[in-house]
Amino acid sequence: MSADVSDLSLVRRVQRGDKGAFDALVLKYQHKLVKLVMRYVRNPAEAEDIAQEAFIKAYRALPQFRGDSAFYTWLYRIAINTAKNAVVSRDRSPIDYELDRNSHDESYEMQGRMKDAETPEGLVLTDEIRSTVNAAIDALPEDLRTAIVLRELEGLSYEEIAAAMDCPVGTVRSRIFRAREAIDRRLREVFEGGLGRAEELG
Amino acid sequence: MRGSERVLALALGCLAAGSVLAEEPARWLERMNQALTTRNYDGTFSHWHGGQVEMLRIIHRVQDGTVSERLASLDGSGREFIRTGASLACYLPDKRTVVVEQRPQQESLVGFPAVNDQTASFYEIKEVARTRLNRRDTHVITVTPKDEYRYGYRLWIDDSTAMPLKTQLCDAHGNVIEQIVFASLTLSSRIPDTAFRPEVSTEGFQWVRDRPPASAAPVAAGSWSAATLPPGFRMTVRSAQTLPGSAQPVDHLVFTDGMASVSVFVEMQQSGPPAPGAAPAAVAEAATVGSSSAFSTVVDGHKITAVGEVPPATVQFIATQVKAQGAAPLGARGR
Amino acid sequence: MNEELDSQLSAMFDDELPPQECELLARRLSRDELLKARWGRYAVVGAVIRAERGVRLNAPLAGLVNAALSAEPALGAHAVPSLAQQARLRWWQPLAGGAVAAGVAALSVLWLRAQAPLTVTPLAAQRLPATLSAAPGAVALKAVDAGAASYVTPPAPLVRPMLVPSTQLANYVVAHSMFSSPVTRRNLLSSFITSEQAAAEAEAPQVDVQSNAR
Repeated sequence: MSADVSDLSLVRRVQRGDKGAFDALVLKYQHKLVKLVMRYVRNPAEAEDIAQEAFIKAYRALPQFRGDSAFYTWLYRIAINTAKNAVVSRDRSPIDYELDRNSHDESYEMQGRMKDAETPEGLVLTDEIRSTVNAAIDALPEDLRTAIVLRELEGLSYEEIAAAMDCPVGTVRSRIFRAREAIDRRLREVFEGGLGRAEELG
Repeated sequence: MRGSERVLALALGCLAAGSVLAEEPARWLERMNQALTTRNYDGTFSHWHGGQVEMLRIIHRVQDGTVSERLASLDGSGREFIRTGASLACYLPDKRTVVVEQRPQQESLVGFPAVNDQTASFYEIKEVARTRLNRRDTHVITVTPKDEYRYGYRLWIDDSTAMPLKTQLCDAHGNVIEQIVFASLTLSSRIPDTAFRPEVSTEGFQWVRDRPPASAAPVAAGSWSAATLPPGFRMTVRSAQTLPGSAQPVDHLVFTDGMASVSVFVEMQQSGPPAPGAAPAAVAEAATVGSSSAFSTVVDGHKITAVGEVPPATVQFIATQVKAQGAAPLGARGR
Repeated sequence: MNEELDSQLSAMFDDELPPQECELLARRLSRDELLKARWGRYAVVGAVIRAERGVRLNAPLAGLVNAALSAEPALGAHAVPSLAQQARLRWWQPLAGGAVAAGVAALSVLWLRAQAPLTVTPLAAQRLPATLSAAPGAVALKAVDAGAASYVTPPAPLVRPMLVPSTQLANYVVAHSMFSSPVTRRNLLSSFITSEQAAAEAEAPQVDVQSNAR
């Protein structure tokens, strides 16, 4: 299996004008990118701002991306540069914006509203998500759990997992899929239920 | 305002080219220009063009009518422009060189485009959103050209200071050509002189000073003009000056439509036949300088160059319309 | 629920789906909000398993990026800039033969000044526009565009003396900048001092990339 096919097919769509394909790339890599940026800035909110900026820079630079490196590698470099620049400019001349202690990064447009970054509901949801996923994983049959952990934690390919678990590749694919399905069933409740709660309070 | 006056004002407003409602976004542009030219500020920004991003720092001060300015690259090259009063210095650490030239003071705050009623005829100026950028409340103003002679702009203008925290230059199709985003910005009442010293030590550097020509013969400016201009453009400045390194004076005309401006330089062409074996000189030439366009042509032994932050076709159009007054123009005499 | 589709989604997420199916699924994924949401939840699961502490898991970031991009133009129409980059004339670099651009030696001041990184990109050489009618809104734009699209690097660009040497153009641009709109003036002068080295650095391969995605 040639590497990076999945990302490249999305990247090519974006390069041809399909912004929706970029959403998929953001969804896939956002956590990794924030975690990466947090090596440079401690503050999670600032890390998210920087990650957001990095994604936007990547979008704009995408016409220049030729596939010489893997997409994530390229994105990773952009994120590092963005984080470094942010730190440099912050240290060189102090940010003198009036710090809004109210600190709701609300972005509101004339058309619609979008829920924001730092409401208390956001924090609750993270912990809830984490414990839901962990509980769901614990409840998995062992072969499903092993398969998905080898994939997500160790980063092994299906072939490598097949070798480790002594089963066909097709079985690996099926086990990982079924593991995700089981977890997702519980996760959907949190996401969709959580949104519902936020709407009521908002 | 009394009720009847208000009704009358509204009625008159509707009769005018722009509607009353369109005023407010244009006023934001005016406030922005005011802020950029009169406030003291110190900021760092990212400059994106052609797929490359670089961080720069800008410091700007107006004190006793004198403008001081410093623009420095924070990445890589370390190059800087420093303007204090009438003197402009360019520091090139990678070449270990400093170039200094004197420029007349008058050009500091004079003649730049001002947004006016005319502008609204050629650009659609709208506030499309209010959004927070780096925790600042900003107005997103779009300036969309109504024809292909100009570029468009998207500006995120800070509500409390009117500084443009983010600006995009767009072509006629809406593609972003260039973008500037401030990462930090401080507006202070006092900026010390020390802020306008270069970061780099100039020890061991070569200093190149431009000297004005010994005999500055007064030049008869005013013999050149454009027969026709793209709609909305008009001449705002006409001067004659001797640019650094040039033996001869140059006519400098400035045309603007309220947002964009184009300079036309007219210079007597250096005479003399081309060196043997060399190809003949070009008759016309186009070039880009960053996001700006340039076009040169030759008319009656004079080299005419138009430069401006407009699409290539516009500088080409203007350059080819410039004629000496008194010469029979090809087309109808324009505005 | 379409199990086959979701199974493909899971495989594509792991980069284990054959290219052809990837193409089809990519198209579907970009338009299907439910499919996207599922894909996003797959990413969340991975983040939890890797115990990425401190990272917020309820995906506001994706929404913010999406909103920001809605103000961005769609990609795909940048023909001219890339051509311009190919044709870039680094005139401060010595010509073949080692001599600096001949003919401008007399303008030594200008030459040094012009070593500020001014990218002079000839778009169309030696061509007067076909017909420039005096009427506003004329089609002159088309003439220039056609030129740009079919631009071919002239065989020996510096043997032919440029009408306006880059050095002089640099002076024109600076002189003009004093009369530009305050907003664009900064853009203009920034072009002078931004470095092309920065571009080269960005392209250099990175050595240490930790990625759990492979």
